[in-house]
Amino acid sequence: MSFLDRLAEKSSRSLAARTSRRGFLGALGGALTGSLLLPLLPVMRGQAAMAAEPPAKGKPAIPAKVDDPESCEYWKYCAIDGALCACCGGTSHSCPPGTAQSPITWIGTCHNPHDGRDYMVSYNDCCGKTSCGNCSCNRNEREKPIYRLARNNDINWCMANADSNYHCSVSVVLGVAGQ
Amino acid sequence: MIRIHPACLTAALLAARLAAAESAPVANEQFTVEELGKAGPHWAYVVDVAWNNEIDARVRVLDGDSFRELGQVDAGFSPAVALSPDGHTLAVSTTYWSRGGHGDRNDVVEFNDTRTLTATAEVLLPGKRAMVPPATTSLGYSADGRLLYVPFLTPAASLAVIDPVAHKLLSEIDTTGCVLVIPHGPNRVSSICDNGRLMTLAIDAKGQEASRTLSDPFFDAETDPVFVQGVPSPTGMLFLSFLGQVHEIDLRGAQPAFAAAWSLVPAADRGKWRPGGTQVGALHSARHRLYVPMHQGGEGSHKEGGTELWVFDTQSHRRVARWPLAPLKLAAVTSVQVTQDEHPLLFAATADGAVAILDATTGRLRHVARNMGQTPWQIIIP
Repeated sequence: MSFLDRLAEKSSRSLAARTSRRGFLGALGGALTGSLLLPLLPVMRGQAAMAAEPPAKGKPAIPAKVDDPESCEYWKYCAIDGALCACCGGTSHSCPPGTAQSPITWIGTCHNPHDGRDYMVSYNDCCGKTSCGNCSCNRNEREKPIYRLARNNDINWCMANADSNYHCSVSVVLGVAGQ
Repeated sequence: MIRIHPACLTAALLAARLAAAESAPVANEQFTVEELGKAGPHWAYVVDVAWNNEIDARVRVLDGDSFRELGQVDAGFSPAVALSPDGHTLAVSTTYWSRGGHGDRNDVVEFNDTRTLTATAEVLLPGKRAMVPPATTSLGYSADGRLLYVPFLTPAASLAVIDPVAHKLLSEIDTTGCVLVIPHGPNRVSSICDNGRLMTLAIDAKGQEASRTLSDPFFDAETDPVFVQGVPSPTGMLFLSFLGQVHEIDLRGAQPAFAAAWSLVPAADRGKWRPGGTQVGALHSARHRLYVPMHQGGEGSHKEGGTELWVFDTQSHRRVARWPLAPLKLAAVTSVQVTQDEHPLLFAATADGAVAILDATTGRLRHVARNMGQTPWQIIIP
């Protein structure tokens, strides 16, 4: 395994814990882009592509599914592609028992209709068991093809795991975008 | 309890014996295994990624005339599939685990005889294979069939060069962040870069990198990226963009040559009607007809299947037909492929796992094959 492979396998979570958010993004961007010539800080571009809209007065009621982690319409799932871990024994941000977290991932921005904020989320896969198959969900807001790897949800993000089989996907809030 | 008079029973048995004596008995049968002959002009290989149990993908052989399934090739997890130029070998690049869904990872290219549908040889790969949806760019033979290219992504990007005749891994070449494989000629392969360029490698006689070049950008990856499901043409490959631009690339020379892009979508419908799906275009080369599943949608709808099939003349760039699918009672079409004969068939896989077979000249629906698995995301024509 090359140095770049090992670098890319380092957990984005542990990086986040050790650094400021901006530093974390820089480190993650470096990890993903070091060998891939990917655009730096894809999240920031995602933000640029979608300005947060403040909630308008008289706006229609928010459908219940927007808050349901077992629904594809859950607000955090705006660019998730896979089986929802919340339907497989996990939650919207945790893996089912006996699976392993993917240490590498891609990052997007989802709009929370309740507070009008855009949130930075990481789409992680849970790995090591065959596909769960429940609650298949394919949303692709600002998703890009595989040559923009840091913005792509087609690749099996379990690819660098020891047990690289794909089981299900989660969406983990990393913070308010742009802060 | 029903009582049957003994005399009635005797009469019935006698009648049965007489009837049996009048007809010949069923002949003894030989228990055999079928073999396929030369591929028919209307055959198709349908790649089912088996989305709900992904370790069990398979390739089904479908006869578009008899509508029968002719056989199956096993395809493991997240496979890529390519047919050799002579049509004798179906290469499947895939992953197995030693304990089914877990255990040691085994990446491999299996070479399947298209007559017997059995794997007759393999090349083991390092555990780096790009686990991406099947497409023309996820596995590819050189034009002369003497090299096979396999994209790696770990997420560091590289590609493997394989000798598919001697069944040997010849080299792994770092592609500096550019991904997938677009073979051209006997010894060139291009990869797509994140900035809309093609990186082209020339391969030497030993399967090693001889040289590399980087093209100018031919699309804008941020504002209007191209689908990676390239559509092979006699001169190279077509790439469709999310907004419906057609980028034709001439791959006959040492370097890719890019024609001016043209649009599938009339100006008034731009951004409203879009191509989408998992195999977004099919070209009948001799008739210059391009078939595209189109839908009405906005940003982020690029994986939605078509509610209509649009047909274009690739010489005049004009739309020549528009076939709505609702009257045919078809779900959204996600993958299209067309046979190359004089009476072509259009295969159209749908979001509910069926494969529709249409007359490619009229759009008339001939049949809907409902037993093509869960997720038939790619169709390959022999």
